[in-house]
Amino acid sequence: MTGFYLRWAGIAGVALVVAWLAAQHYDREVQTITPEQLLQTRPEGTVRVIGLVQAGSLTLVPQEGSATPPNTTSPSTPSMILAEFELAGPEAHLLVHYDGPADDNLRELKTLVVIGHFTPAGPGGLDRQRFEAHDLDLLPNYGFITAAYLLALVPLALFLFGMERRVALLYTVIKETTAYQPEAER
Amino acid sequence: MSRFILWLRKYQGWFGLAGGLCMTVGLYLGLVISPPDYYQGEVVRIMYLHVPLAQTSLLAYATLFISSIWYLWKRDPIIDNAAHAAAGLGVFFTAAALVTGSIWAKPTWNTWWTWDPRLVSFTVLLLILIGYLMLRMFIDEPERQARFAAILAIVGGVDLPIVKFSVEWWRTLHQPLSISPRGVSYSSDMLTPLLIMALGMSLLFAYMLMVRTQLLYLRQLLEAKKGRLLSRVQL
Repeated sequence: MTGFYLRWAGIAGVALVVAWLAAQHYDREVQTITPEQLLQTRPEGTVRVIGLVQAGSLTLVPQEGSATPPNTTSPSTPSMILAEFELAGPEAHLLVHYDGPADDNLRELKTLVVIGHFTPAGPGGLDRQRFEAHDLDLLPNYGFITAAYLLALVPLALFLFGMERRVALLYTVIKETTAYQPEAER
Repeated sequence: MSRFILWLRKYQGWFGLAGGLCMTVGLYLGLVISPPDYYQGEVVRIMYLHVPLAQTSLLAYATLFISSIWYLWKRDPIIDNAAHAAAGLGVFFTAAALVTGSIWAKPTWNTWWTWDPRLVSFTVLLLILIGYLMLRMFIDEPERQARFAAILAIVGGVDLPIVKFSVEWWRTLHQPLSISPRGVSYSSDMLTPLLIMALGMSLLFAYMLMVRTQLLYLRQLLEAKKGRLLSRVQL
């Protein structure tokens, strides 16, 4: 049984390392902040901001040389667009200047993640703070993904562990049990 | 001890190892390397788990179906052990597929559940499997238990093609068959992790089936060694 427990300790160790790496990846690559947090912390460098594209605020400008208008661009052939819109958080709005690939998901009343950097005073002396975005992403929904994987894989591992343990115990018990011998007739 | 059980014990490790390796590689490709879907975004990553779980639950029922026919033909108790093991695993995989599908549906369809033919037929499959296990619990005499359970499994097999082709036969919310004679509707960077995960899950199912078959056999063997069921177990 020692080998059995050691093997499962190894599997648990590998699972913990993978979970730790996944958490690091989430913190580094996926975690988002709200417009309020952005305005309070004013981070430097590339950040991901999540919010709702405010109704009536979106203006799309196809870039020169673009073969297709932005709303008909197919996923396989993205063209570049310029767009401006307000990204609304629970308590604050953020003006976003987007210069990146055309995306069907960029529409009003859609919750999006914008990826770029914050310009506190705006370029060229503009007095309004704005966010320079170069890419868009959909709502990550990482809670759903994590829940699905944990709810399937953790019970799977426990189920397998329980089965293997019982089989190992049964082999031990059967080895130690003497075979049934019918009583001799008197 | 039965030669078949000794064979299972000898070779089960290879299936477990291969399944574990495939799933590790598949999870890495699916969670880290593959891109988010254009419309679904990151939620598509649930598919790398949900689809293999659903396929494996169908594989579990197919195993139960074939084992039941085989049992009625040969009347070999170890085949009955294998059928019983496949049903137990089928309950687990079917329930897991339903749960992960429901979690995927909430952000995608904006509902946890809908009365869609695929979902309903899949839930019926789960109920048949639970019914199979309950039937076995309610009959004490082993020979009758195995025979009645095999008949139920064969009759319940009618749900298998309904689950598989429900998305073709009726208008459904669920996606149609992604891999069919008409072609493959996945891009290669999504198809690769999906296929590797499906292979890994199938190998893991084979491993679990081997372990569970031994578990059921060993329980009966222990009973036999204690003086009961001698006639049933091949010592």
